[in-house]
Formats: sequence, C-alpha cells, structure tokens
Amino acid sequence: METTPAPVVRTIAQAALLVLAAPLVTGYVQKLKARLQCRAGASVWQPYRDLSKLLRKGTVQSDTATPFFRAIPVLVLAATATATAMLPVLWAPAGATVPLGDAILLVGLLALARFLLAVGALDAGGAFGGMGASREMTVGLLVEPALMLTVFSVAVSAGTTDVNLLAARRAPLLLSWTAPDLLALFGMLILALAETGRIPVDNPDTHLELTMLHEGMLLEHSGPGLACIALATHVKQLVTLTLVAALFLPVGLARDASPPAIALALAAFAAKVLALATFLGLVESSYAKLRFFRVPQFLGLGLVCAFLALALRVL
Amino acid sequence: MSVALAARLIDVLGGLLLFTMLLILAAGQVFRAIYAVAAQAVFLGIAGAVLAAATGNVDLWIIAFITIVAKAIVLPWLLIRVVRRVQISREIEPVIPVHLTLTLAAGIVVLAFHLNASLGPVRQTVTGNALPVGVTLILIGVLVMASRRKALVQMVGLFASENGIFFTAMAISQGMPLIIEIGVILDVVLGALVMGILVLRVRSSVDTDIADLESLKG
Amino acid sequence: MTRVAVWLGHLGIVAAAAAAARFAVGVLGGATPPVHVALPRLFPFAAQSLSVDGLSAFFLLVIALVTAAAALYGPSYLGARAKGPVVQTVALGVFVANMALVCCAGDLLTFLLAWEGMTLASYVLVVSDPASEENARAGLLYLVMAHAGTAALLVAFLFLADRAGGFDFPAIRAAARGLDPSTRTALFMLALAGFGAKAGVVPLHVWLPKAHPAAPSHVSALMSGVMLKVALYGIFRFGFDLLAPAGAPLPASWGWTVLLLGTASAVIGVLLALQQHDLKRLLAFHSVENVGIILIGGGLAMLLAGGRGPPALAALALAAALLHTLNHAAFKGLLFLGAGSVLARTGVRNMEELGGLARRMPWTAWLFLLGAVAISALPPLNGFVSEWMTFQGLLLGGVRLGGASGLLAGVAASMLALTGGLAAACFAKAFGVTFLGRSRTAHAEHAGESPAPMIAGMVLLAAACVALGLAPGWAMRLLDRPTAELLGGAGVSATVTASGPLVLSAGAAGAGATSISVTAAAALFGLLAALAWALRGWPRAAPRRLAPTWTCGMTPTARFDYTGTAFAKPLRLIFAALYRPRREIVKETGASPYDVRRLAYTGEVVDLAETLLYARVKQGVTAAAHEIRAYSTGRIHGYIAFVLVTLVVSLLLFA
Repeated sequence: METTPAPVVRTIAQAALLVLAAPLVTGYVQKLKARLQCRAGASVWQPYRDLSKLLRKGTVQSDTATPFFRAIPVLVLAATATATAMLPVLWAPAGATVPLGDAILLVGLLALARFLLAVGALDAGGAFGGMGASREMTVGLLVEPALMLTVFSVAVSAGTTDVNLLAARRAPLLLSWTAPDLLALFGMLILALAETGRIPVDNPDTHLELTMLHEGMLLEHSGPGLACIALATHVKQLVTLTLVAALFLPVGLARDASPPAIALALAAFAAKVLALATFLGLVESSYAKLRFFRVPQFLGLGLVCAFLALALRVL
Repeated sequence: MSVALAARLIDVLGGLLLFTMLLILAAGQVFRAIYAVAAQAVFLGIAGAVLAAATGNVDLWIIAFITIVAKAIVLPWLLIRVVRRVQISREIEPVIPVHLTLTLAAGIVVLAFHLNASLGPVRQTVTGNALPVGVTLILIGVLVMASRRKALVQMVGLFASENGIFFTAMAISQGMPLIIEIGVILDVVLGALVMGILVLRVRSSVDTDIADLESLKG
Repeated sequence: MTRVAVWLGHLGIVAAAAAAARFAVGVLGGATPPVHVALPRLFPFAAQSLSVDGLSAFFLLVIALVTAAAALYGPSYLGARAKGPVVQTVALGVFVANMALVCCAGDLLTFLLAWEGMTLASYVLVVSDPASEENARAGLLYLVMAHAGTAALLVAFLFLADRAGGFDFPAIRAAARGLDPSTRTALFMLALAGFGAKAGVVPLHVWLPKAHPAAPSHVSALMSGVMLKVALYGIFRFGFDLLAPAGAPLPASWGWTVLLLGTASAVIGVLLALQQHDLKRLLAFHSVENVGIILIGGGLAMLLAGGRGPPALAALALAAALLHTLNHAAFKGLLFLGAGSVLARTGVRNMEELGGLARRMPWTAWLFLLGAVAISALPPLNGFVSEWMTFQGLLLGGVRLGGASGLLAGVAASMLALTGGLAAACFAKAFGVTFLGRSRTAHAEHAGESPAPMIAGMVLLAAACVALGLAPGWAMRLLDRPTAELLGGAGVSATVTASGPLVLSAGAAGAGATSISVTAAAALFGLLAALAWALRGWPRAAPRRLAPTWTCGMTPTARFDYTGTAFAKPLRLIFAALYRPRREIVKETGASPYDVRRLAYTGEVVDLAETLLYARVKQGVTAAAHEIRAYSTGRIHGYIAFVLVTLVVSLLLFA
C-alpha cells in the first residue's frame, strides 16, 4: 500500500502549483515566439510583473455597468482556479481521491467562467464587448462537443471521467497507445489551441477590433480586475495543457510523498507542459490566424478526430 | 519483432493513416493536401516495414522502400512542381462544403466498420482494424476526388485511395507478389505524370481548369 | 371585489399546491403508502379510480412546485394587464387540477378526461391574454396539434382497453403482457406520437413556441415547466410500466427512437431558440431543448432497462431524466416568471427594445441570471447536476452496450455538450441584451421593480434551483421510489449517493466510481472568490473612478450596444444550412449614393420543420379539401344522405 499525502493536502498543493505556475507558461510561450521571430523578447517572468503592475493600478469602470461588473473578474478567477483542483499534477492516486469533480465538472467550470466573462462584457455596453462575447461564446460552444467526445473516447476504456482515476488507470498503459488514443490526442491538440485562445483560432496579442475574440471582452476591465482576468486566462491555459497531459501522457506521476518521487514528478510535469507549450508556440509562430468563419471547419477536424477515436474504440 | 507488437504498431499506423486522411479532407490549401498525402505514404511505408519485420517477407522490405521513395518523395515533388508551374490559386475549391465532407467521412468510417463486421471471416487477427481502416481510406479517397474541383487535388485523392488499397492488401494477405506491387506503383507514377502533363497543357493552351469541362457539354 | 376574488382564488391554489407537495413528498419518502381511490361511477361502462405510486407522486411534486410559485405570482401579474381576471383564475385552477389528475389517474378513461380538460383549460388561457389575432391563431394551432396527438392516444387507449376488457391500469398491464412484439411496438409508437405532440418533440414542436408565449406569463411557466412534463409522464408510464413486456428488456427500437428524437429535439430546440428576439418565445424553444435532454435520459434508460444493462445504470439514466424534469420545471418556471416581470413592467417582449433593466429591476435581473446559469447546465446549480448524471449514464451505458448503441451514446453525449454550449450562448445573449447595457427605448427606461408577490414567486423557484444544485443527494432520495418501481431493483440513491448525501457517484460502487461533489466544488469556488476579492485590494486600495464605455472616442449611446441579432449572427452563418437565413436591407439615399438617410434591416430564420413538413401537409390538406368541394352540393339533403350512406356502410363493415 503506497502512502500518498492526505487527499485534501494533495489537492490543495496541486491546485496551488497550477495557479502559481500558470503565468510562467505564458511567459515561456511569449519568449519562444520572440526567439522564433529573432527578437530577444521579454523575460519569462514578465507575466508576473504585468500582474503585479495591474494589481497596483487604479480602476476605471464604465458608467453603464452594474455593480455586478466588479465581481465578475473575481468570479471568473475563482471558477477557473476551482477547475485546477480536479487535475492530477504530481500524484496519481490509486485509492481515495477527494470527491470534488471530474472532467465534466472541470469543463463546466471553464464554461461558467466564459459565461460570466461574456455577461460582464455585455454589461459595460459598447460594441467591442458584445462582439468579443458573441465570438468567444461561439468558439466555446463549438469546442465543447468535440471535447466531450474526446473525454468520452478516453473514458470508455477506463470507465470513469474522474481525471485523477483516468490518469492512474492509464499510467501503466502509456506504451500501449492504440489508434483511438492517437486520434483522440490529435483532436485534443486542435481543441487545446482553441481553448487556450491561440492562433489559429484567436490571437492573444491583438487589440485590433476585427480580430479580437477573448481580448474584446476585457476592454472595459482595468486595474486589479484585469489582473484577476489575466491570471484566470493563464490558469485556463495551464489547466488545458494539464488536462491533455493527464489524459494522454500520464507518465511520471508520483506514487508517494517522498522528496525524490515528488522531485521526479515535478520534473516530469514540467517536461510535459514545456513540450505542449512549445507546441502552442510553434503553431502560433508558423500559422496565420484563421478567418473567424473558418474556425468551425478547423474545430470540425478535431470533432471528427474525436468521433473516429470513439468509433474505433467501440465498434 | 513479435506478432503482437506488429499488430499494435499496425493499429497505431492505421490511426495515423486515418488522421492524415482527415488532414487531406480538411486542408484548405493545395500544398497542405500534398504534404498530408506524402506523410500518409511515409506511414504506409513504415507499415510495410513493420509487416516485413514481423513476417520475414523480404519482398515487403522492397515494397516499403519503393512506397516511400515513389509516393512520399517523387509524387509529391511532381505535384508541387506542377502547382508551381501552372500558378493556380492555392486554395482548395470544394464542390460541397468542407464540414459536409467531414461529416460524410465520419459516416464512411461507421459504414466501413459495419461492413467489416459482416466480413468477419476475412478479418485476420494479426492486423486488427486494418481492413476497415483500409476500406475507409479507399472510400474517403474517392470522396476527395468527388468533392474537389481542382484536378491536382483529385490526384491527391486518387493517391490516398491507392494508399488504402495498398494498406488493405498488405494487411490482409501480407503483401501481394512483388511484381504486382511494383506494377501498381509504376501505374500510379505514370498516372501522375500523365495528369500533370495534361493539367499543364490544358492550362497553357486554353487557360482553364477541369472544372470548366462541364461547359463543353452541348 | 374582483381583486379580492382573484387573490383568494390564487391563494387557494397555493394552499392546494402546498398540500399536494406535502403528500407527494410523503409518498416518495415512503411515509405514505401508495394510494388507490375508487371514484364514483360516471359512466356505465367503466369504473374510474385514482392511484398514486412513486412516478405519479414525483410528477405531482413537479406540478406543485411550479404551481405554488405561479399562483403566488399570478394576482399581481394579472392586475397589471389582463382582462377578465376571474375567468383566468378559474381556468388556472381547472388547468392545474387536471394536470394533477392526469398524473394520478388510475385508469385510461380518467387519464383521457383529465388530459382533455388540461388541453381545453390551457387553450382558454392561451387565447385569453390580450385577445389578439395572433394569439387566436396560436391557440387554434395548439388545439389542432393537441387533438391530433389525442387522436393517436385514443387509438392506442381503445385498442388496449378492448384487449383488457376494462380501463384500469392493472387490467391494461396484464393485457399488454400478452401482446406480440410488433403490436406492442406499434402501440408504443402511437403513444409516443400522441404524447410527443404535447411535449413538443421535434418535429411536432411547431405549436409550442407560438402557444406558450401567448398565455399570461405565469401560465406560460406552467405550460412550459409542467404541462410538457405531464406528457413525459405519459411516455414514462406507457414505456416503462403499462406496455413493458414481463421480465424482458424493452425493445431496442424504443430506446433508439426516443434517444434519437431526444437528441434532435435538444439540438434543434436550442438552435432555434438562439435566433429568437421575443424573450418568451426564446424560452419556449428552450423547452423543446430540455424535453429533448429528458428524453435522452429516458431513451437511454429504455435501452438499458430490463436486463440489457445493469439495473443500477438504468436507474441512473432514468433518475437523470426525472431529475432534469424537476430541474427544468424549477428554472424554466423561474425564467418565464422573470420574462413576465419584464413584460408586465415594460409591455415589451422583444429584447431588442429593452436593455439596461438590471439597474431598474435588480431583483428580477439577478433572479433571471440565476435561472440562466441553471438552464445553461453550468455548475454549481441544478441544471448541471442532471446533465452530469445524463453524461455519466451515456458513458457507462455506452460502454456496456457497445457497438452502434455505444457510438450513438457517444454522439448523444457530444450533442448534449453542444446543447449546453448553445444554451449558455443563448442566455448570455438573452440576459445581456435584456438587462445589461443601455436602455434602447423609453419602455425600458421607465421600468420599475415588480411588486413583492411576483418576486416571492421567483424566489421560491430560485431557491429550488440552488437547493437542487447544491444538495442533489436530497433529490436522489425522492427518486428512489419511481426508479425502483419502474425498473425493479434498488432505487437510484443506493448507488448514486453511496458515498454520502453530498457526493454523487456513478459507476461500480466503491473505488471504481466517478464521484463529484458539487457542494464541495461550490464551497471551494466561494472560498477562492473571497480570496480573490481580498487579493484585488491587497497591495493598496486602488482608486476607482467612473468613465463612459470606450467607443472609439464617440459619445456612447444605446446604439453602440450589441443587439441580440448581432450576438447570434456567427451562429446564423455557421448553421446557415439549418436556419436558411434571409435578410433584406433597404437603403434610402439622398442625392448621392454615399448620403445614406435611412437603413432598414430585416432578417429572419425559418424553422425547417415548418417549411419542409407542415407547409407540405397543409398544401396536401388544402388540395384534398378542394377535391372534396367538387362533390359538395351545398344542399342539406345531400349531406344527410351522405351521413346515411356512411352509417350503413360502417354497420355492414363492422357488424
């Protein structure tokens, strides 16, 4: 019987790690992009500096917004951070987990964050918020069925949607990847590009009104509120990458609480996230942003991949 | 190489072949479709090599080698050359919307697996899902030919379809006689050459594409 | 005087609903034994009775919940607008009583009479609220569709009663055991068509989005939230109980049909809802969607029931369907009451003419938002819980069924996810355009908050949404009895809440199960929100000032705000094949084409069922009528002779 730390401690430690490390991943992707464009680029710690700067700034709020507008960044951050508690980062528990949530609740929480953000964008009025909200919700709803099919195709073999259990059960099977796993992984990578709001679906660096999706909704947020949303965006990105890693690369998860095991798990986690973040950066550097109405076609590829994965699995 | 490992590798390669097929279907640009079909040929060659290692059939090594050289290097090079020469627009022009073709492709997969269930006795244990995957590739290749306007993309569909036939043949019968395989590959190369020349000639003499052929009817 | 009568009537309904709820909870909790009451004989050929078992009691609870809220809400709402409030109060009472009677009927005759009473009473309510041409047409369509459905039911009922030699359920059950499979399936399909027409299953839904919004809002809440459920009760009662073969799985074709119809209704309902600007019509289309979601769970339970899958899984699927029935009643009731408040205060249903109401009607707005979160299946409210159970049922059931059924389950799950996403987009639009931003017209600008009784009605349903979301284990215990009765075996709570009342589990009991706790997740969410709230003021309390929304330097007006039409535009283009959108832009220019004086935009989408199916049926009927007209002489003697000939021929045929 292995000894992992108490489930509650484990969950809190993993969630805290995900929240704290999230801006670093964004920093890494930015740095990678800069180097690929032959620029020196800002330090990988830049997102932390941006956050601390925003936290110290004052707020300018739209005079049409309701009092609820102030609460939105906080709720968005809280929903996204709650989602982190459902992922295996360092440990793959064989036994008890905290019965907190599974992949479906995780997707639900991310959808809640998106919904609140869209409501906030409409709250301030103005065309940019509405446009951003409309587009973000559209992309979100196109991602969801494909994501569900992917989760489904992976869960069919393990019989559960609890991401912790999925990772634990699939860990010994890593070298026996089958065709459905592969197709599901390809589908998932396509969806990850959309979920993290990156090229070719969205461009995180643009503030040009015609190309904004996510950024359009943030225009009226400022100061600490904007900091909360920016942090939530970083966290969402890392949550997506961790989900991919947990579903398809559940390797190197620790079985106990000994320091070497934890160090090894940490290194494995870092390597996986680094690899996936490199994928994001490479795609972002080598593709152009798709026209908005081409996005459904791009996501359709992910949907069909996931469908094929499921078909190969059950037929 | 053990039979079980070979079966698993063929399974995974079948998944990769399907994925490249989807990439061909979803490609928005001619070049991407060509790269995808080249990648497909590489996976097909690897599948041949895996089967060769598993069965000890020397012919399969040769076929795998020829497949990679002819289909993953020569043909794509030829197609890309033609695309550059005729300077056609790079967008793929679908006859029916791409999302519809993707839906049809999903339907084809279900159909292929359904047929596979009724073809039970033919199915071989070593090759697992290879038969339905091969049938899927053949059918989707035809779908590409039917649903794309450009002659070059139709060529890509033909190659993909041919890859499917190859994969099915390899997986079921552990390879046809060498001479037949080589003949088939030569056929395809020849077909590509003829097609390429045709496209070039048609383009240079009347400045048109095959989609305009329908204006010929009375 | 009228006011007092209306109030007394409504309060009476509230009291009756409370009593019914108490009784239903008693039956469901096992405190009260199942009830069987013989009614006085009205007809010489049949004895009538009432009988309440678990399923009846559960639906009685659904009815009571929304009825209580609607009746609390009603008087103030009627006072604000309606003509003939006394008639409406009486009709409301008859309507609700008949719905309860349908669910408590112990024989087919009582069922049918109450069913008809329910239809007629609701028809009166549909056409009563401002008696306009449009409402009259909606009412006519409703009446035609409802009776076409009733006709299908009548055929099935009479066939069964003929076989059984009586109308009471035990006799019917016994007779159905002896049916051959194809007759059984034919009877089920007839019943499905009949009940489906009432439940608004695609493609029989066309009357629903026209009739439901026409009624006064609290009646809309009842029609959408409850009356559809009564039809679903019929499907469950017939599928799982009356027509079920003894000791064998239900025919696979039933499950497939219901599952496919459910999936189609869910997706098509919500897609059409997205393009509506009329707040109440939008909500009515969402009812089509939610009936679809319930049928997905029901169809899955049919596939799994009777030994094709483990009983625990069938119970999970059926419980998901039933719980969603209760949940939908709660949040749809809440949303209709919210829309009613907006309508009562502004006189407008078109959301493009509203906007900015959140500051003028804060209670209504935030309660509507709560309902929107719940219907979009977002955690931590009740919509999420039942959809989670449906997902788990589809996953585990799909694994168990394998093959084509497994793939169908996967596709249904994916479509359910799409439905959730579409619903979230739809309600971001509905809430945002109606309540947020600037007011677009004077109607919205001069609105005020609704009176307390109306808010009380909404708060009641909102509390149900929160309670069912945060403490779903409690609801599971209510579902034990219906699931155990219909499927045999232990009730659903034995597996779903095995690890405690606040933890939901699905799958094999013990370590293998997927467990979630919405309660714990919500607590964590609250904690983190508090933490983030503290964090944002942490380095120093930052100064805060107000400024106009950024509109590229121009003075912001309401015309800058995104409209509902604009919000839904991306989806209109993406799903153009389904919507067949049409748009027309009329441009009035001055001397030069660049001097645009006025731009008018009109656009619309179609419901394919209406244009493809019903238009053709209508054409056919009209053509047939023209044919027949050639034979009608207009002389009364000819008609009487025709009646005579018909009588003689039927006597010869059947005697």
